Amino acid sequence: MVISHALGARIKRREDPRLITGRAIYVDDLNFAGMVHAVLIRSPHAHAKVQSIETSAARRASGVVAVWTGEDVSRRCGPLPIGPRIKDMKAPKRFPLVIDGIVRHVGDPVAVVVAASLEAAHDAAELVEVDYEPLVSVQNPETALAIDALLIHPDLGTNVCFRMTFGGGGVDAAFASAEVVVKTRIVQQRLIPAAMETRGVVAQHKGGELTVWTSTQIPHVVKTTLAETVRVPEHEIRVIAPEVGGGFGSKLDVYAEEALVAALALALGRPVKWIESRRENFIATVHGRGQIDDVELAAKRDGTVTGLRVRAIADLGAYSQLLTPGVPTNTGLMCCGCYRIPNVHAEVIGVFTNRTPTDAYRGAGRPEATFLIERVMDVLAAELKMDPAEVRRKNFIPAGAFPFKTPTGATYDSGNYETALEKALDRVNYTALRDEQAKRRQQKRYMGIGIASYVEITGLASAANLPGGNWESATVRVEPTGKITVLTGTSPHGQGEETTFAQIVSDRLGVSIEDVAVIHGDTRAVPYGVGTFGSRTTPVGGAAVYVAAEKVRDKATRIAAHLLEASHDDVTMNGARFLVKGSPDRAIDFKEVARMAYKAFKLPPGMEPGLEFLHFFTPKERVFPFGSHVCVVEIDPETGEVSFKRYVAVDDCGNILNPLLVAGQIHGGIVQGLAQAVYEGVEYDSEGQLLTALFTDYVVPDATQVPPFELDHTVTPSPHNPLGAKGVGEAGTIGATPAVVNAILDALAPFGVKHLDMPITPRKIWAAMQSGL
Amino acid sequence: MKVEGTYTLPASRQEVWELLNDPNVLAKATPGIKQLDPQGDDTFKAIIEVGVGPVKGAYVGQVSIADKVPPERMTLKIEGGGRPGTIKATGELRLEEQDGKTVVAYSGDAQVTGLIASVGHRLISGVAKQMVGEFFRALEKELERR
Repeated sequence: MVISHALGARIKRREDPRLITGRAIYVDDLNFAGMVHAVLIRSPHAHAKVQSIETSAARRASGVVAVWTGEDVSRRCGPLPIGPRIKDMKAPKRFPLVIDGIVRHVGDPVAVVVAASLEAAHDAAELVEVDYEPLVSVQNPETALAIDALLIHPDLGTNVCFRMTFGGGGVDAAFASAEVVVKTRIVQQRLIPAAMETRGVVAQHKGGELTVWTSTQIPHVVKTTLAETVRVPEHEIRVIAPEVGGGFGSKLDVYAEEALVAALALALGRPVKWIESRRENFIATVHGRGQIDDVELAAKRDGTVTGLRVRAIADLGAYSQLLTPGVPTNTGLMCCGCYRIPNVHAEVIGVFTNRTPTDAYRGAGRPEATFLIERVMDVLAAELKMDPAEVRRKNFIPAGAFPFKTPTGATYDSGNYETALEKALDRVNYTALRDEQAKRRQQKRYMGIGIASYVEITGLASAANLPGGNWESATVRVEPTGKITVLTGTSPHGQGEETTFAQIVSDRLGVSIEDVAVIHGDTRAVPYGVGTFGSRTTPVGGAAVYVAAEKVRDKATRIAAHLLEASHDDVTMNGARFLVKGSPDRAIDFKEVARMAYKAFKLPPGMEPGLEFLHFFTPKERVFPFGSHVCVVEIDPETGEVSFKRYVAVDDCGNILNPLLVAGQIHGGIVQGLAQAVYEGVEYDSEGQLLTALFTDYVVPDATQVPPFELDHTVTPSPHNPLGAKGVGEAGTIGATPAVVNAILDALAPFGVKHLDMPITPRKIWAAMQSGL
Repeated sequence: MKVEGTYTLPASRQEVWELLNDPNVLAKATPGIKQLDPQGDDTFKAIIEVGVGPVKGAYVGQVSIADKVPPERMTLKIEGGGRPGTIKATGELRLEEQDGKTVVAYSGDAQVTGLIASVGHRLISGVAKQMVGEFFRALEKELERR
């Protein structure tokens, strides 16, 4: 593919004016005549038996239309989907409200009150009396694993959802003959996705159609699963994702409230609205991460890695949501990182606990993999007293070795890991920086340099484990006036494809970007699609647009040739104009071709009227973006405060469609990854009460708490899609966490500090500097 | 959450014991108490209003006194709930006479849920300590009055 003026250009996001001027319509902006409001009653206990639910006072309260408990739900709703199919996986059924009388995490919903106003619903909700008998709860995933552990789902006979192993070669032999072995134990703390817009659902049953507006990343998948859950034929359901204010994976799910609000609308015959409060968002929307990893590396004294052992215990929370068990399996698949490691054994164990379920969150298993391998590489470097950059160089998969199959089963499509690292090191002037670090240490100033080289997966292709499959649909429809409507099955919530997809069409058909509308998120308007997650928008959804536009171009050229009485091969496209080679006076505008495609009285013999193509694009394989991040920090020995001096990111996402949007994705990604390193972390008390339940206790950084970023790229096109592009939505997050943690621990090396658990707060740093952990 | 400490009251152990077993005194001395209805068998129905930082609300519950060894010690069991969450607590009071005064040693452990746990957790021990202090100061005043 040739990057033209339209593709690769720095074009501002067309969606932003409406988003930043408050003109965008979100779920909570919808209001209908006769609409009623739902408020959920959620368990305050992490584990308890529901003895009774007294609803009569609430039912009698002013304005109340309905009060439902699990009993009402079990009569009307089937179970919700419970994750991908993993061999021997055990997962409990889950319903829109608890139906078996046991609540299993703080926030588990037991009843819903529906009233004419939100205030009336809240007041009536306080009249619902739930009598709980608290049970002992299981908080620690390692405790949950023990043979005599209390069972969270007694029917399953175990707290283990699945065990899966990855790897190859002879790990035991590699460790037995290793010249050096290093170990580390990493806790990848739970994170709260904290999208700017909380979840929300409005449902209406009218004129034989159930319409559900929901803040989701996957409207089509929600439609299909709703058909099963609330038992309405799928062709009578329309799901609309209006403007969606962020998701980060937390809206890549099928939630209880979607089915519940739909069931209520069906039963009550009135539109029903539910908007999640921020507190509910913290306890009832999925969390991310949550892994304990024991990692061991076997190596030669020269730094060559010979073996890797990983045991990852994933804290799944109380239930399996749409993709819950799939997330930690990515960690097993990707734990080799950018390195050629011949002998690998990785065991991933998914365990239920009495906590909010975990599921996809920006990176979904790949940040965990990158963090563990990038940390242990630094541990090895420290052990061998080698430069961390040198240890990486020694083990990188060489540029000539692609496609490269890892022992864990991933086939990396293309890469040039060393070049990306060298570019990042050059940019920070690495050698000089190390000298400066040594000098400063003599002055008792503590500078740290952290390196993280990552490789990750985008455009996931393991179709069997994905909701809806791994393809994406696109329709390119040329209207009779030559204007173009694109229908995409992806469902944006910040990605910006109204801009990038218009660029692709503009590139292929010569029309201006203003003449292209990109429509998404309405299952009645858009042919079946999969949705937006796993950085798939460009490599899968964009590729579908590209192929559909190519088909349009081919048909338009044939029509033009027919109208110009030229042979098809002699007609070329120049901008939005068709020309006959060698006869510059014989030409026809794209707009005229469009008109003639619909007038249809002068089409080539046998050609159908119209100018529109629907393409379902399936990538041949997954694509693997990569890069290297370098972070430079200085630590104040008096306070333990970290100040960020430099942050350089060299990312390779193949061909770049729009540098502005790529930079935006990387900026946001780095902020989230850096936040895991030093700011964010979910904390529960021993009884399973969420202590970080509001933004007062859970630190999502603002612009003043992050450094400026210096971005650069290498470009290694992917062979697996016609755009040669790889996704970039999660790369920043994946590279940032280990780069920052490695920088902090590098700064603390003179104190003998070898490890600190994230988030690495000034308090932890200060304490470690005193004791030298 | 654990609360522990001692408070010295200027009265004999017997006097203090009687005070602690008088529902009217308890109702007056306990901060925020709106209602205390004896249900027999040393059990009371209580309504109490407490503010823990931004988390304010009324709790309805039951207070019972167990393991009484007059005038040496008793155990208090409290269970209640309200809009901000639930509380389940046990506390032990030990009375010791020293030079005509009585040293009351208290120790308690509470489990809380809901907003008081998640939002109030940084403040709740401080609030509990303050309430205990207010309680004993009120008892002291009551003793002075008698």
